[in-house]
Amino acid sequence: MKMKRTTLVMLFLLGVLLLSACSGNSRTIVNTWPGLAADDARAYLSAGSHVYAVDVKNGSEVWRYPAEADNAMQFYAVPVLTADGQLLVGSEGTGHAFFSLNPETGKENWTEPFTGAKGKWVAAPLVFNERIYAPNTDGFLYTLGMDGKQAADPIELGGALWSAPVTDGQFIYVASLDHHLHIIDPANGTTGDPVDLGGAIPGSPAATEGGVYVGSFSSTVEIVGANGQHESAATTTNWIWGSPTLDGNTLFYADLSGNVYSLDIPSGSQNWGAIQPDGPIVANPLVMGDQIYFATEEGSFFALDRDGKTLWQKTTGGKIYTTPVVSGTLVLVAPYQGDFAIAAYDGEGKQAWTFTPAK
Amino acid sequence: MWELFIIQPLTNLLLWIYDVLGHGPHMFGLAIILFTILIKLITWPLNASQVKGAQAMQELQNDKDWQEIQKKYAKDREKLAQEQMRIYKEKGINPFASCLPTLIQFPIIIGLYQSIIRALSATPLDMLKLARTVYPFQNVANIIPLNSKFLWMDLGRPESIAIFGFALPTLAIVVALTTYIQTKLTMPATTTPGDQSAAMSGMMSIYMPLLLGWFALNFASGIAVYFIVSNLLGIVQYAATGRANWNNLLPGGNKKAPAKK
Repeated sequence: MKMKRTTLVMLFLLGVLLLSACSGNSRTIVNTWPGLAADDARAYLSAGSHVYAVDVKNGSEVWRYPAEADNAMQFYAVPVLTADGQLLVGSEGTGHAFFSLNPETGKENWTEPFTGAKGKWVAAPLVFNERIYAPNTDGFLYTLGMDGKQAADPIELGGALWSAPVTDGQFIYVASLDHHLHIIDPANGTTGDPVDLGGAIPGSPAATEGGVYVGSFSSTVEIVGANGQHESAATTTNWIWGSPTLDGNTLFYADLSGNVYSLDIPSGSQNWGAIQPDGPIVANPLVMGDQIYFATEEGSFFALDRDGKTLWQKTTGGKIYTTPVVSGTLVLVAPYQGDFAIAAYDGEGKQAWTFTPAK
Repeated sequence: MWELFIIQPLTNLLLWIYDVLGHGPHMFGLAIILFTILIKLITWPLNASQVKGAQAMQELQNDKDWQEIQKKYAKDREKLAQEQMRIYKEKGINPFASCLPTLIQFPIIIGLYQSIIRALSATPLDMLKLARTVYPFQNVANIIPLNSKFLWMDLGRPESIAIFGFALPTLAIVVALTTYIQTKLTMPATTTPGDQSAAMSGMMSIYMPLLLGWFALNFASGIAVYFIVSNLLGIVQYAATGRANWNNLLPGGNKKAPAKK
């Protein structure tokens, strides 16, 4: 009898362990890829329990926020540097707090973080005309002053908002997972009719004069005007996750089948034939000089020239979903579950340094 | 293997049902309910064999030959096991028949939990996994992301209702209650003093409601919906056989003879 009781208790514990282990949605531990930003002096990485500032000269850690891990703060939204010297970043965890940090010291700028949102922060905010426009997964766009105080009523857009808003200099464009692109006039907070793009939009639009280019799970890149008029600019073979990158008259984008595209906008034709490196592409393409960078889920980081020829390729030992960023002459990548948290490469593909947070 | 044979089929089935239902508000909850009914229908023969197997095992406890070998080989476990196997063979009883449906339920529960979490895609990584899980012939671009609202619940999160400032986990209570009722109903009446099978069932009626209630309390409420519907169907199925021991729901009721039709 005792043995049977023990067996039942063991079965109970095994069941608990199995379900706990398979929980991909733990309420406190972030399980997704990091966010990365940089200026000429530092890289800023939001990865799990901390936001890290890293010296781009040598890859050493300058500070981390918070100093001690706290389950109320889990980070993966892309941090944003403002012109007035703030580093803005939202968090997951139990607090759903939105912070302003001092990029030099990692100390909080505001007397208290903004905690008015109901959902977690996945998207980076947009800073425009001395206002912070912060989209949240609760479907609201929050408007804050540069002091972190709410400057206007939140705008309910619907769906989870995962991507940073962009502006064409007049209007603000916010993409939602509920398939809609929202166009907001920041002068009066009014929104036009949402534009249905036929699929979830996890990536930001790319702003152009009087409108945006935006990709979605409908496997189409659409050009959307400020008046909401839209038309297909190109199609892909699979869903589009990342933002298109506009460089002059060329639009670079990729899809989850791992195809990379270069669209000549005036003619509407592709600049190169099918290029499919080695895995799904989530990260936005990055243009630096004459090189175009793509990163794949297989952990490969590619530099192509404008004809689509591969100039060099690096593997990182992880999966790259985070959009690479430029810091001076270096390009930084942040693999998810890689051998390191950040790697810096020069324009010839030579690795300058790597950064791995100390335990 | 787990991904290929459990997660992908379950997730695609859920998405398909959700799509057929019109993918509006509350439809994912309905999809889970329909999914549960489907799983119950598929495992109906197994459950029936479980009932039959449990009944046969219970009747065996009163068998003279069985009782005799228990006494005769009480100190020789190896010989006892051999004799038990002989009797199983003679009477055509599969001793594992009553365990198999329960064992089959476990991967379904774990797989369903993972499928619900993946389908609801709370984080970018979950969404990316979902994108890869979808079968090519399923056109789900128009239904993603799924609407996780069902009645008052967010199916991707543990459920509770605030009552006087206290978060009451109503689903977890209903899960524990329906599990208790189901376990009690299927418990045979005790006719033999020191009956190990009945004692085991008695323990199950305590541990199982606690286990499933704990799951419902801590994990996505979608899994709690599955438990409740599954329990209710189990009760209906058992009642339909005419062997449900309703007296067991009363204190001391398991001492009485089961009602047979």
